[in-house]
Amino acid sequence: MIVFQDIYKRFGKKEVLRGVSLNVPKGKIQYIIGTSGAGKSVLTKHLVGLIRPDKGRVLFDGRDITDCTEQEYFEVRRRVATVFQHATLFDSMTMAENVALPLRKHRGCKQKEALERAMEFLKQVQMADYAHRYPSDVGDGLRKRVAIARALTMEPEVVIFDEPTTGIDPLAAANVDQLMRHLSEQMTVTSIVISHDLRSIFRVADRVAMLYKGRVLLEGTPEEFRNTTNPVVRQFINGDAEGPMEFPGVGR
Amino acid sequence: MSQAIAQWMDSMVRLGRLFRQTFTSVLKGSLRRRRSQLIVQMYEIGNKSVLFITATLSILGMISVFQVLKQVEKIVPDFSMIGPAFIQMMIREFGPTITGLMIATRVGSGIAAEVGSMVVTEQVDALRMSNAKPVDYLVAPRFVACGIQTMMLSIYGVVVGVIAGSITAYVFWNISFGMFLRFDLVQWGDVVSGLLKALAYGFTIPIVASQAGLETKGGSEGVGAATTRAVVNASFAVVILDLLLSGFSYLVLYG
Repeated sequence: MIVFQDIYKRFGKKEVLRGVSLNVPKGKIQYIIGTSGAGKSVLTKHLVGLIRPDKGRVLFDGRDITDCTEQEYFEVRRRVATVFQHATLFDSMTMAENVALPLRKHRGCKQKEALERAMEFLKQVQMADYAHRYPSDVGDGLRKRVAIARALTMEPEVVIFDEPTTGIDPLAAANVDQLMRHLSEQMTVTSIVISHDLRSIFRVADRVAMLYKGRVLLEGTPEEFRNTTNPVVRQFINGDAEGPMEFPGVGR
Repeated sequence: MSQAIAQWMDSMVRLGRLFRQTFTSVLKGSLRRRRSQLIVQMYEIGNKSVLFITATLSILGMISVFQVLKQVEKIVPDFSMIGPAFIQMMIREFGPTITGLMIATRVGSGIAAEVGSMVVTEQVDALRMSNAKPVDYLVAPRFVACGIQTMMLSIYGVVVGVIAGSITAYVFWNISFGMFLRFDLVQWGDVVSGLLKALAYGFTIPIVASQAGLETKGGSEGVGAATTRAVVNASFAVVILDLLLSGFSYLVLYG
């Protein structure tokens, strides 16, 4: 169970989170939606200590991890993997070396052993043929698959997917959805998914939370979102240009 | 005003922390497994700056000698000490400092842009998630590479500047190379002072530029701002170090 308790975060003059509280159930697929700049990525980065809250607490498996040191967060990062929005593969490393990096750093594997295991994970995402190529040689979709392979190397308990289906074709997006469902059902992996992909949300989400103006506007099942009468949520789901929704930075 | 001073102090503390982390990383042998990265950085910082340094230092050498001779001929007809004095100034001051300033602009901007781009595309976050320290991967190789190459380029810059100066003296005032290229005034203190400055610039520029890059906020606009900040801060750092080390040299090395 992951708990965000009353999280506040400000960057300069911009207050991104204004008291976000959210419980993510174990083994479930929790989607976090909201407009660009709503603070979705900022919120999830609090879980792995990449961002520290100005106020509020973060609990992971019943333990308060808010004030952990960088060293203490290594343990959390071993259990929580992140697939970043931009795939974030290191340009100077091959695909296999990218996937092997967490194995070497977290598990202390030797380079040869780490590369062999990296190949197995690359096979799982159908990227073994690209193992010795560099990230700059392939497109976004393929890079994202390798990023997913890298996230899975640590056999994590939680995976944060930051816009996993953005920029990839519908078939690859369906594969990612299937993979999340597989992780949840077969391996009780908790997935926190930041996405705008409504098709994907209604296909695989167990729970959905919408961030708006720095707070959770609505949290519930996809069905509850489909049937809500909240005009802001309805506008977001329907993709209407006109409506009551205010966008970040406008009118401040 | 007090807020600006507090911000400056805070940034100095962060700079000091990054310097300490980088130094510790190098001492712990973080580069042993990243020799290829070190070589790449040495090539990027050193080899790719050779043309730039050649052009800058040779032009500076030519102009300096031309201007000095033009003034001196109005006062005394004796040009015998111009060469030795010029060589001493090149070794002690101009060679390392002009090279340092050139490295601060060319290399400092490059480091800030590269590290800043990695920050905005979350590559630095990905490193931290992989239990890898960004300092080991990004800062340490540039720190060592820049330290070595700035020293090499400073020595090369002195040679280039002196050759260009001696050619100018010969072409315009018919001063023979034998008369110009004398090391009568050069003391060991000058050589030590010049090398010390080059090394200090070489180690400071990548730290200042990396800090600017690591503190990048926002998207491409943030990378642009970080690059500007890196060039300004690194150039300023070179000037301040020049002042401090010159003072140190006069007090300690020349007694």
